[in-house]
Amino acid sequence: MSVPASQMWTVATYVLRQKLRRRKRYPLVLMLEPLFRCNLACAGCGKIQYPAHILKKHLSVDQCLAAVDECGAPMVSIPGGEPLMYPDIGRLVKELVARRKYVYLCTNAILLKEKLEAGIFEPSKYLSFSVHMDGLKPEHDEAVCREGVFDGAVAGIREALRRGFRVTTNTTLFDGASPMRMQMFFDEMMDLGVEGMMVSPGYSYSKAPDQEHFLRRQKTNELFNKMLSNPKRRWKFNQSPLFLQFLMGKHDFECTPWGNPTYNMFGWQRPCYLLQEGYAASFKELMETTRWEHYGHKSGNEKCKDCMVHCGYEPTAVNYTFNSWKGFKATVAATVTGKL
Amino acid sequence: MTVEQERSLEGWDPGRVEGPDLAFVVERAFDYRGDVTVVHRDGREVVGYLFNRDVDAGEPFAQLFPRDGADAVTIPYADIASIRFTGRDTAAGSSYAAWLRSREAVKATKPASRA
Repeated sequence: MSVPASQMWTVATYVLRQKLRRRKRYPLVLMLEPLFRCNLACAGCGKIQYPAHILKKHLSVDQCLAAVDECGAPMVSIPGGEPLMYPDIGRLVKELVARRKYVYLCTNAILLKEKLEAGIFEPSKYLSFSVHMDGLKPEHDEAVCREGVFDGAVAGIREALRRGFRVTTNTTLFDGASPMRMQMFFDEMMDLGVEGMMVSPGYSYSKAPDQEHFLRRQKTNELFNKMLSNPKRRWKFNQSPLFLQFLMGKHDFECTPWGNPTYNMFGWQRPCYLLQEGYAASFKELMETTRWEHYGHKSGNEKCKDCMVHCGYEPTAVNYTFNSWKGFKATVAATVTGKL
Repeated sequence: MTVEQERSLEGWDPGRVEGPDLAFVVERAFDYRGDVTVVHRDGREVVGYLFNRDVDAGEPFAQLFPRDGADAVTIPYADIASIRFTGRDTAAGSSYAAWLRSREAVKATKPASRA
């Protein structure tokens, strides 16, 4: 585990406060999508297929901050689209840091070096660049459907680290991923000096161009078992170890779709970051009127059947940590020993 | 014609619809990743991206971002006469197909360049 102690403390006290208030459902990470525009068109992505006039639109900083305040989650993830294409990204991040939100700016890093040189960001313990890296150079460039993106991302990571920023990576895995090459990838990322890595199986977006390579549950368990059953001490993961164990088939978690609520120009997305079944006008309306029982692995919903993605199951893992001594001990054991 | 194009509703004009048929067409428009033309009962037309709908609301409604960049508009189901699927389906899969084609082309040239 590579999450800084101050961030762990913030999350732990936040979750315990929710427990003391007996809140059954609470958000952990706000997924804030200020725009859908992107400078890539990845095969597995279902987020950017919109008419041009929608891709030209974006939320205002005030709209973003109102959503952050309304939601109240201690962490804010800024995916998209490509957030570095958002014209006010510097101001938005500054405001979020001022609110002491832990920000994960999820970027393909094509523009990272340029933005860092322009000086629009300042290093902070609250800000981490979460760079999209789907494997070693050949696998990554294939996943993002463009040659040379891996090298550009590595250059961006180096520049961010040189300037004292926190840098993590986020990796989406699809059917056909090689456990051995992923282990080589983990080595390469740690050699680069990133703080930690995040991994998750991909979700079969109905709008994604490539529908053939999404992992089913059993294959996910097999892949993550082969990849992580004997992890090197030097591999640092910036996510719950229980979530990784879940991916290996060691826990039978249920989805927590409200754990990572999503806000974008259409409103508060029902029910989660991955499915678009409608939009609520407010966070309160989202939480109170979404038919949560219709979602999750055990609901029988076909769209949820094979999903094991972090945005639904990492909140479950975190909740499990604080909900039982067993969960707490398992988290501490994995954190201390590095064994999954 | 590709499988993606066969599945796409691009160009579909279901004609005048009411009741459950209207709800069905609005649902298809909500799922569609292209612009649609909403025809009001008074004959006015608005072209844009239909991003939300609520059939369970007291007065069921659809919401749309007009193509001219204006703010979102809310249209009660009761005001909708028809929806035509007039914009390009942006989720029709062409970008991935193009990537596969270009990758195969690059692969095909590699042995020749080594020789």
